[in-house]
Amino acid sequence: MSQINYRTINIDALDPESSANFPMESLLPATLPQAASASDAANAAAQVRQMLRGGDPEGALRTVLDTAPLGGDDRAKEVHLATVIDVLQGIRQGEMTRILEGVCSGDGGAERADCLMKYLYKGMSSAAPGSGTQTPKKPVSPQDTGFSQIQARNLGEGGGGQQMSVLLSWHERLVEIAGTGSIVRVMTDRRTV
Amino acid sequence: MAAPQVHHLFHAPIADHSFSSDKKTLAVARENNVELYQQSGNKFALSDELKGHEKTVTSVDIAPNSGRIVTCSQDVHSIDRNAYVWEQTPTGWKPTLVLLRINRAATFVRWSPSEQKFAVGSGARVIAVCYFEEENDWWISKHLKKPIRSTITTLAWHPNSVLLAAGSTDSHARVFSSFIKGIDTRPEPSAWGERLPFNTICGEYLNDTAGWIQGVAFSPSGNALAFTGHDSSVTVVYPSAPEQPPRAMLNIATRLLPLNSLIWNGETEIIAAGHDCEPFRFHGDENGWQLAGSLENKAGEARGAREESALNMFRQMDLKGQAQADTKLKSTHQNTVHTIRAHEEANGVVSSFSTSGVDGRVVIWNA
Repeated sequence: MSQINYRTINIDALDPESSANFPMESLLPATLPQAASASDAANAAAQVRQMLRGGDPEGALRTVLDTAPLGGDDRAKEVHLATVIDVLQGIRQGEMTRILEGVCSGDGGAERADCLMKYLYKGMSSAAPGSGTQTPKKPVSPQDTGFSQIQARNLGEGGGGQQMSVLLSWHERLVEIAGTGSIVRVMTDRRTV
Repeated sequence: MAAPQVHHLFHAPIADHSFSSDKKTLAVARENNVELYQQSGNKFALSDELKGHEKTVTSVDIAPNSGRIVTCSQDVHSIDRNAYVWEQTPTGWKPTLVLLRINRAATFVRWSPSEQKFAVGSGARVIAVCYFEEENDWWISKHLKKPIRSTITTLAWHPNSVLLAAGSTDSHARVFSSFIKGIDTRPEPSAWGERLPFNTICGEYLNDTAGWIQGVAFSPSGNALAFTGHDSSVTVVYPSAPEQPPRAMLNIATRLLPLNSLIWNGETEIIAAGHDCEPFRFHGDENGWQLAGSLENKAGEARGAREESALNMFRQMDLKGQAQADTKLKSTHQNTVHTIRAHEEANGVVSSFSTSGVDGRVVIWNA
């Protein structure tokens, strides 16, 4: 008789009726854009940084939110997150409200507001500074990538804290414009950034 | 506009409420029982209790014509004890058994407009459509099963008593046919479908932002469906033809907290309420919908923020360390609204509606 450790059997995998086997992809709408790759994200990043240098922060924010890789792989999403955070850090405190009002109005403004809210929460969850014992919650690739090095630098004195304070001031202003409904939609929406 | 009528019944959540057709009897689900209140003057006084459920009662509905009350609960110990139909007899309310055949909590129940059937949503990923069997003197059920992937949270009947809309925690709102031979008459063909055998799926809708569906409703004509969910949005669907994509599917993403329940007022207005503790009005048609504003009477705010006397202010500061207790919300309801129902309506136009929620209040509003 072979010995089987029954305690380690994943019984949910054997039960098609189990709620653990809920098909998450059934929550993705049919309108989800085509999967974007990391190189697409890098191209968008170059374009956005160009606009930022050219003195058009509103256009840069608008473009970076419109090109969000909702259907992309994890790598594309990481690259795009870094671009969004660069844009947010590149805009001065005094200009935030004016730029947000511009970006969150007009055609597709509500979607851009919801998209920015997703990036703010993603930014806050991945760039959590301070305690070194805290393990990153998001799946990271086994080999060190360029991006994770940038993150490691952020974990140093002040860097992460500064990024957090930028994200928090954006959050405050975005809630004034888009309301609590936008926060709720970050939690329900399966089109993650 | 007259102020809303507030009936603060008790300090416990009201899972669901229902008025009789003469508006003199009010049934509310309170914990494991259903309490019946009779109107006397301007107040509602407790008159009777329907006891029988062993777990939290989740939903209650009074049939307007027959006066029968259907209730359902979270009882899961036996497969035929989680819903009852109560009938008034000279010796009091008598429950009749319903064979639901579900092994999870029953979450929601509503009579069909014909009152020949009712539908029970459940956590067992089925909707039990129940009808009366004379021979055995009990209610039996047929299950709507496919393609429900999760708990049913809400149901709404089409005026033809055959089509049934259901919202689920799998984030989809669906329209099913619940046609039962011998009970229903063949419905008129509509944009939802022409031939409608039992469990025909006439529509399956998912928002871009997903979220558990908390409330569904057909428009008075039955030719449009609105649903609201935990993504703080309201979606309105106009079907085009059977098996075709809808003519229009409009999503109104609000800046509010999520809405739990909604009703139509005519074909161009929706009233919805939820976690913001106050009802909101939406206007629109096939070309677009928008939030029009709150129905809360803003004059009430001034009363809430009235000036306290200096003596009272210092007394409060001395007793509580603060000048004014800020635990009272400015809205009429003091907590989440669970249910909104039309109170008085004629030809689909609602002149007043009622809401109930976690704060133990039932409020009657002028639409």
